[in-house]
Amino acid sequence: MDAIKTEIVVIGGGPGGYAAAFYAADKGNKVILVEQEKRLGGVCLNRGCIPSKALLHATKVMQEAKESSFRGITFGNPTLDLPKMRAWKEGILEKLSGGVKSLAGMRKVEVMHGRGIFEDSHTLRVETPDGQKFVQFDKAIVAVGSKPAIPKIFDLGNPRIMTSTEALEIEEVPNELLVIGGGYIGMELGTVYAALGSKVVVVEALDSILAGADPDLVRPVLKYAQKNFKEVRTKTKVTHMSTAGPKIKVVVEGEGGKKEELYDRVLVSVGRVPNCNDIGLENTKVSRDEKGFITVNPQQQTSDPNIYAIGDVAGGVMLAHKASKEARIAVEVINGEESAFENTIIPAVVFTDPEIAWAGLTEADAKAKGIDVLVSKFPWGASGRALSFDRTDGLTKLIVDPATERILGVGLVGAGAGELIGEGTLAIEMAATVNDLAQTVHPHPTLSETLMEAAEAFFGHATHTFTRKREE
Amino acid sequence: MDVKLPKLGEGAESGVVVSIAVKEGDQVNKGQTILELENEKAVAAIPASAAGKVSRINVKPGDRISVGHVLITLDGAGNGAAAAEAKAEQPKKSAAPAARPTRRAAPEPEYEEEDFDSSEEQPEETAADKAGFAPPASPSIRKLARDIGLDLRKIQGSDAGGRIVLADIRAYIHRLQRAAARGRGGSAAPASPAAEAKPPVERIDFSQWGSITRKPLSPIRQTISRRMVENAASIPHVTQFDEADITALTELRKKYADAYEKKGARLTLTSFALKAVANTLKKFAIFNSSIDEAVNELVFKDYVHIGLAVDTEQGLLVPVIRDVDKKDLFQLSKDVQELAEKARARKVSLEEMKGGTFTISNQGGIGGAHFTPIINKPEVAILGLGRGAMKAVVKDKKIEPRLMMPIALSYDHRVIDGGEAARFTVELVQAFENFKEENIKI
Repeated sequence: MDAIKTEIVVIGGGPGGYAAAFYAADKGNKVILVEQEKRLGGVCLNRGCIPSKALLHATKVMQEAKESSFRGITFGNPTLDLPKMRAWKEGILEKLSGGVKSLAGMRKVEVMHGRGIFEDSHTLRVETPDGQKFVQFDKAIVAVGSKPAIPKIFDLGNPRIMTSTEALEIEEVPNELLVIGGGYIGMELGTVYAALGSKVVVVEALDSILAGADPDLVRPVLKYAQKNFKEVRTKTKVTHMSTAGPKIKVVVEGEGGKKEELYDRVLVSVGRVPNCNDIGLENTKVSRDEKGFITVNPQQQTSDPNIYAIGDVAGGVMLAHKASKEARIAVEVINGEESAFENTIIPAVVFTDPEIAWAGLTEADAKAKGIDVLVSKFPWGASGRALSFDRTDGLTKLIVDPATERILGVGLVGAGAGELIGEGTLAIEMAATVNDLAQTVHPHPTLSETLMEAAEAFFGHATHTFTRKREE
Repeated sequence: MDVKLPKLGEGAESGVVVSIAVKEGDQVNKGQTILELENEKAVAAIPASAAGKVSRINVKPGDRISVGHVLITLDGAGNGAAAAEAKAEQPKKSAAPAARPTRRAAPEPEYEEEDFDSSEEQPEETAADKAGFAPPASPSIRKLARDIGLDLRKIQGSDAGGRIVLADIRAYIHRLQRAAARGRGGSAAPASPAAEAKPPVERIDFSQWGSITRKPLSPIRQTISRRMVENAASIPHVTQFDEADITALTELRKKYADAYEKKGARLTLTSFALKAVANTLKKFAIFNSSIDEAVNELVFKDYVHIGLAVDTEQGLLVPVIRDVDKKDLFQLSKDVQELAEKARARKVSLEEMKGGTFTISNQGGIGGAHFTPIINKPEVAILGLGRGAMKAVVKDKKIEPRLMMPIALSYDHRVIDGGEAARFTVELVQAFENFKEENIKI
């Protein structure tokens, strides 16, 4: 069979893959985008970021309706129509992936549906519904992403033991739900199910939920969870799991010892693993690290000169926006431009209630690495905007270089924190100083003022809070 | 807090203290000159890396010191209590924009030429450095620097917090260009400002004295021209003359020429010269070296790749024969023949003309005696061979007719001394005169 020739083939149509394909097409390259599923958009659009945010929005509306009586508004008890909710969510995904598809069409990016398997360093075999096709490429960009990890002891083939993929389908609202892993996926989905009415128990092996975020940012989220979940147990592990009729029996080992418990459903959210076991990498010169991620240099090049890797499969933080940035770098390098993933600030947002967001250096990081920094904080209790919608459980803080007063990190917790971190990321990327932020007028009354006020607090003259002179 | 000697620049690791500009008890500001240091390149002003009161001076004029040496000790900076004090003061300091800390105390659009690489300020490591952050500059400036290959870490930002803005990049490039221009003029001794201010070429109308023909300079000729000017101007050449008695060698060549011919190789004097030179280079490694001017180091090569000047219709080409020391005379003869043919057919690749460690220019086939060859940079020596001629030579107090070959060795006097060159020449002459027959047999 004749091979189809192309300059670039992109394997995987998620936020890394389609960004790479589009950018390459915009630069005039001939591109084929290979996607094994019917719908473009990858995990992010179909089984991750977007559906989880849709559900979080829906459940937030429920929550607010329930809790508005003190404002003088009383609703009847919300009733849940799960099929309708699923259809609404599906509609959003359909719209978005349709958008991606038409953008591909406008750019003349050929989308080939099927599994892509490397035959060698310049040939990709694609198993499409109409048989095998061979793509002969100059360069390939691997963007096949990751999937939820499911340790062997949890993998009983019981559909009531879910990963995030199944949990987002909300087949039912279980009465008792166990969430294994208190990372951002476990906490976000725990929030959804708790709002829908499940009694949620979160177990986390480490000594805190949301490891990696600063403890003062995690505190309001923990408080919310302690109130709305049945329980949050840290330093606790699930050591055994078995099917017990319609229930699932688990053995939980924590500081209080061993316990046997019964749940209606279990969500396993203990991390993600790369999807590159069966794409023929062994037929190329691509090498992988001990965890199975493809190793790349700052130019996103693998050890095979023709093959690049981006996104989750290339390791590092597994976030859509990191994949999209890497996509641009790979395409630029392929086109002979100087480009590298270096000193790039990747903001992180956890869509819990309240949200946590941070960018750059965290306080915990600085401490761990012995870096001397100054920290300036502004509590949202002093924000008029936060008070106006009853969410004063927030905090804005800046991590500052003492020598130059350059802003090295921004940390936020609070309702809508995710929308605020963009300004923080820009400040860090622009090498802004605290004074730059303090001198910039922010609109009133908005939550963005908290960034300015945190900067003013650094100098001891924030309007809406009183800070004593720094004593260290 | 101790103020240490910062890194002065490439290859300049130490220097001699010329004068000290502060005394004990003085209050110094960050960036203020504390002493002057003379190194191989220039006299450099060494700035204080922090502000404070001088509590101790640890050096005196005449001291030879190197990077990291403690120059002075300051009170009121660096140590725990003082640092806290400084931090407590910071809010006040920064509230007034004029006193906002910047990396360079008083940013000036123009850089001092003298301190281009002699006083490159080594700022203390900031929290941003430790956390692995990019130098303070916006993403667009960082992209620009990447595109044009600038290291932002070497540039002092003039904006708040030491942020590097476009104006800083312009000033830096300006400074690099001036330094580069100075470097070109500088190598040709002090009294040569002419190199910089080259007058426009005067065009002469040759046809006023008779008829003429004009031909464009071929690219090869232009390259030869540029390289010859460069090599002749930048290397102090000395040429050592001698003669080698090749009477016996010529006999041997005649004796084995047929045998070589039958096996498809021409045994020529060039093959013998390659072997003789390779053996001599093994004994005098300096002739097989190069100068790495960027770091002031000599590079000794364990390989012997000899370039052969080949006279072609288009002009001089110098293909290189690899690993001459490891090849026998037969192989060398074949290589010479092959490369010369390739060069004349213009089929020799750029790769095949690179990596030479020494060059031989044999004009013996054409005629002429001694000449002064120009060294082929980055090599440090070149051998010129003239045509062998019968001469009346006094041997054992008797006059004998001997076939004498003129040899001329040009060497780079920066790295090779006259004595060494004379010894090399003597050794080489002997290599020609006592060529062992067993090395010729095939």
